[in-house]
Amino acid sequence: MEKITKRFPGVVALDGVDFDLKEAEIHALVGENGAGKSTLIKILGGVHKPDAGTITLNNRRVYFHSPLDAQLAGISVIHQELNLVEELTVAENMFLGREKRWWFVDRKKMRQEAASIMEKLKFHVNPSEVVKNLNVSEKQLVSIAKALTYKAQIIVMDEPTAAITKTEVDRLFKIMKDLKTHGVSVIFISHRIEEIYEVADRVTILRDGKKIGTYDVGSVSKEDLIRMMVGRKIDDMYPKYNTPSSKVIFKVVNLRIPGKVHDVSFEVKRGEIFGIAGLVGSGKSEIAMGIFGAIRAHFDEMYLYGKQISKISTPVDAIQHGIVMIPEDRKSQGLVLILDVLKNLSVANPEKVTRASFILDWKRAKEFSLKAVEDFRIKVSSIQQLVKNLSGGNQQKVVLSKFLYKSPKLVLLVEPTRGIDVGAKVEVYHLINRLANSGVGVVFISSELPEVVSLCDTVLVMHRGRAMALLTGSEVTQENILKAAAGVEVA
Amino acid sequence: MKKVIGFMRKYPAFTGLVGLLIVLSILSDRFMTVSNMLNVLRQASIQAILAFGMTVVIVSGGIDLSVGSVFAFSAVVLASILKSGSIFFAIVVALVIGGAFGAFNGIIVAKTKIQPFIVTLATMAIARSFTLVYTNGMPITGFSQSFRFIGRGEFLKVPMPVWIMFSVFVFTWYFLAKTKPGLYVYSIGGNEEATRLSGVKVDRYKILVYVISGVFSAVGAIVLTARLNSAQPIFGQGYELDAIAASVLGGASLSGGKGGVVGTLFGALIMGVINNGLNLLNVSPFYQQAVKGFVILAAVLMEREQ
Repeated sequence: MEKITKRFPGVVALDGVDFDLKEAEIHALVGENGAGKSTLIKILGGVHKPDAGTITLNNRRVYFHSPLDAQLAGISVIHQELNLVEELTVAENMFLGREKRWWFVDRKKMRQEAASIMEKLKFHVNPSEVVKNLNVSEKQLVSIAKALTYKAQIIVMDEPTAAITKTEVDRLFKIMKDLKTHGVSVIFISHRIEEIYEVADRVTILRDGKKIGTYDVGSVSKEDLIRMMVGRKIDDMYPKYNTPSSKVIFKVVNLRIPGKVHDVSFEVKRGEIFGIAGLVGSGKSEIAMGIFGAIRAHFDEMYLYGKQISKISTPVDAIQHGIVMIPEDRKSQGLVLILDVLKNLSVANPEKVTRASFILDWKRAKEFSLKAVEDFRIKVSSIQQLVKNLSGGNQQKVVLSKFLYKSPKLVLLVEPTRGIDVGAKVEVYHLINRLANSGVGVVFISSELPEVVSLCDTVLVMHRGRAMALLTGSEVTQENILKAAAGVEVA
Repeated sequence: MKKVIGFMRKYPAFTGLVGLLIVLSILSDRFMTVSNMLNVLRQASIQAILAFGMTVVIVSGGIDLSVGSVFAFSAVVLASILKSGSIFFAIVVALVIGGAFGAFNGIIVAKTKIQPFIVTLATMAIARSFTLVYTNGMPITGFSQSFRFIGRGEFLKVPMPVWIMFSVFVFTWYFLAKTKPGLYVYSIGGNEEATRLSGVKVDRYKILVYVISGVFSAVGAIVLTARLNSAQPIFGQGYELDAIAASVLGGASLSGGKGGVVGTLFGALIMGVINNGLNLLNVSPFYQQAVKGFVILAAVLMEREQ
């Protein structure tokens, strides 16, 4: 791919990027969110057309007008957004568009073939299961299996490891190396630097739509790689300068959510970062949803800054008491993607943008939004830019700013760094420290153990809806959290 | 010039309307006259009023199929009261009926999570049935001169229905563009869950949009009853489709979060101009529905290209 340029309204996503892929190599593509990785992949996969530049495949210039063109040319892409039909079964999804007969679908044969592929890959997914009943990591496995059935020359994997477990990642890497020995080339995108060193031969770094360079993985250090991605040196990946005290500012006793959370109690002290860890389905994100009134929850007692709270049945109640939640999924819960930054911020902060309580004052709204963009360093072309065109990190900053101007007394952050790049992550960590120091109660719920261990003073570990362990100080280690999350007593 | 192009890009329906006006004035020399234009406006005004309400509902991510039936029921109750009571009282009752049906739709949609399409389809049948029972299937005709003024009178040479349509337009535009509830309507249509988690009382505003749509149906019913000097139980059949078509022509998205009354006004005028133009050109009325159908498809396709 030579001199690829792609513009979207208000942004240059790719600016004259060259990219080459050798036969039988695993080529990692890295960069922060918004660097242009996914755009490059979408151009290669025929989803977007480049505004300029050429694609050459086996010494022949090619033009892809649709994903089908790219597929026919031997390029198979596993996109970051999983493209599965929720209402169909795993087998039907795997053969979608290539059903075994022309008119009547031979379900039995499809199921058998899907089962044998899954067997070969050692993925434990039932081919007859309807996709909507699978969890995210199972869906990811189905996407991988589907891409492998195309017998492609080039397989592109856009963050295939984001949602699957270590064992499955190892198996995927084995498959990738296996493919390589059969002459297949793989383009691999990941935010996890360690994985690149484990599996890739070469690595290309993109930043702000430009190519920074391509290196043999052995010839470049992790530190240099991160520096090139971020554009500056990151001294401290996990900044921590909060000052915990012994004063309890939030307390909940016997929080119950039917079928999800059973009698969980905890206290948050002023200045501390209180973490909640646990596996998917352990009830950790439901705790936040319950306290915030987003799902039905009951509790015996709740106190915030000495004031008793008797009932929270809607998010409106929670906000009135000074409790806000940064929701887990920013796209479905945090933002209205088809509206602009200005409107997203205004919806959550009506008192800042109205006069006479219901008439909008767009001038004030604009001033408020500009201030938010500056305070939170949100990168936008203008405050009228649609939120769906922002990168993940900037979207998350919009969500954070939406809620933090409400002067909360307790902030529940659910997976606040999921899918955002290194630079934005560090900014979120700084923000959390500052929040804690300013006297706001901070509950930090995350599946990323390194950040939990580095940031939190106290960690509540959940196992199947129950509080399994409360770790403090030196007890907060990855090992202890993993043990407790698996249901083992921590000595 | 740049402003005009920007406007045309924002409202493809405006471009379409201008194109139609040019073509029809070439085809018929009776088309582009002041009296005929006022005629088009008068005929389109009732559809436009309903379409403004429909746009608000569609922007919120819903749909209101009951507008035509609610229109009919408001009209016949209005007419029966006019026979004995005061004009003012009759109008108030008609508006309350429209609002009550809207509230009924809105409460069920907001509280039960049944799809708006189903809820308002049921209300459509219920209100039509009420109308037939109430009138025994017979029209109610003959009202006072002063009531008929609403439909037939003029102010500053412009027909009253056009003034009323214009007032409703300004009200709805202000509501959607300049008020907090208007902003919430867009936000709910764009992502209801995210709006709820931002601390918005979503149910309240979902009910409000259906109330607005119901009240606007009643406004349309008052105008038509006054114009025809008669209220008929078959009033309003197919009006929901015209209202949806005008909204969609005007750029509203049925998945919610997008649209506005400026576009809808152009959409409603396109429909009115097509009706009028085909009549002037002596095209059989049997073709009119087909022409409208193709225009809607073409308009939506054009919009997608952008």
